[in-house]
Amino acid sequence: MRNLILKDLILHRKFLLLVGGLYGAWMGYFGSRMGSLRVSIFLSTFLSCIIPLMIFTREDKFKAASVSCSLPVTRKQIVLSRYILSWALMLIVYALIVLIAVVIPGGKVKAGDLLSTNAIFLALALLALFFSILMPLLVRFGMVGMFVFLIGMQVLGAVLLFLAARKILPFSLKDILASIGRALASLNAHLGGPGYYLVLFGAMLVLSAASFSLSVFLFQRKDL
Amino acid sequence: MPNILEIRNLSKDYGDFKLKSVSFDLPKGTIMGLIGPNGAGKTTVIKLILNLVRKDAGAIRIFGLDNLADEAAVKSRIGFVHDTPLFYERLTLKSIKAQVAPFYKNWDENLFQRLLREFALPPRQIFARLSRGMKMKFALALALSHEADLILLDEPTSGLDPVFRRELLAKLSGIIQDENKSILFSTHITSDLERIADYITFIRDGEVVFSSAKDELLANGGVVKGGNDLLTEETAKFFKGLRRREFGFEALTDDSAAVRRRFGENVVIDKVTLEDIMFFMTRGDRRV
Repeated sequence: MRNLILKDLILHRKFLLLVGGLYGAWMGYFGSRMGSLRVSIFLSTFLSCIIPLMIFTREDKFKAASVSCSLPVTRKQIVLSRYILSWALMLIVYALIVLIAVVIPGGKVKAGDLLSTNAIFLALALLALFFSILMPLLVRFGMVGMFVFLIGMQVLGAVLLFLAARKILPFSLKDILASIGRALASLNAHLGGPGYYLVLFGAMLVLSAASFSLSVFLFQRKDL
Repeated sequence: MPNILEIRNLSKDYGDFKLKSVSFDLPKGTIMGLIGPNGAGKTTVIKLILNLVRKDAGAIRIFGLDNLADEAAVKSRIGFVHDTPLFYERLTLKSIKAQVAPFYKNWDENLFQRLLREFALPPRQIFARLSRGMKMKFALALALSHEADLILLDEPTSGLDPVFRRELLAKLSGIIQDENKSILFSTHITSDLERIADYITFIRDGEVVFSSAKDELLANGGVVKGGNDLLTEETAKFFKGLRRREFGFEALTDDSAAVRRRFGENVVIDKVTLEDIMFFMTRGDRRV
């Protein structure tokens, strides 16, 4: 396991330092200038999630997967090492973004808000959500598949917004989002702070475990 | 002699190509040549052994262990060379070695350095800048540096010059001298196998046509030449494949003695080569 993590880390160290560092700093600066804390966290976590995923697309690019899978490791170990490394990298990139946002003066987002328990759990939940969805897609369909999905989601979002603006949709997008917010607020009110965060943390773990199992299942069936 | 590799009823369906119930054994301390025309399924067999593709049916036992249930343990004792050596293109040979070596407990750094010198491979060279032959040599150096008990080579001599090919074959022969190691060697260059192989497995259209001791094949087999008037439904059964020409026929037999008894001095029987076997089994006809 350690060898697999080190292999990926050493292979992509220049990419991580350059792209991860630059994008992290860029996102930290511009994220702090956004008026909305939630939008800032949403974009920051999405970028933090994309950075580790990009290093695994490089294996597709070099067609080196057959060498990795010929080494004395199982495919499950390869996937597990990637989940561990990705989570470590996502947390590092997100921490860098928060650090830049807090340190550089003139930001609209306050340091206290970014470092609040709510903001940290929201960030962790979004990281878990993005990564849990994108990683199996990357494993099965590669970089192209992942980007097709992302573009597809954007197109779907644009279409839904267009239809909602014309009042063609039989439901209200705003109402759906608002009801999710109300459900979470109600859960928070019923369980209290620690219980609420525990439930959120449990949900993240379940989602990550399901994503991991799916990725292993898909990777074990992938012909190289 | 115990088997280092046992393959039973191995099947894989790609849709446009099927590997059909492949079975053969590789005894300890021997070299087996895997031959067959392009697209016969040789690379698929090697990929299945390494679990790079998923089998549909069958069993693969290596060192007495299941290749899937004991995947990591099995692979730690396998050295491999793929038909197209693919590593991270922009890394130096030294960096690639640094990525691969920690995975093997028995990694022998001195042996690796010696092989690099022997193969004239500069450790600081970028992998992408190597010629195909040099890439193949590097893959071989990695495969031979961790005291593997089973070495899987998929077309290892393609792209290599004849001098190095000969040296490599000598090295492979040397590896099995302790009688604990075995080599499975897929190639189109059948003359390489005539030099070093103990067993030959011939695959055609995803099926094993035969898997036999090389010496037996070459000693018993022959290329028969004779007049077309000798060919009848009854005599055709002596031949595995035949080519009819205007002035006579050429045919492959796996029992020269029987052919001699049947045809006497009316036919000429030449020594058979693996290339003849491959040719007649692939292109030859059995119809009279």
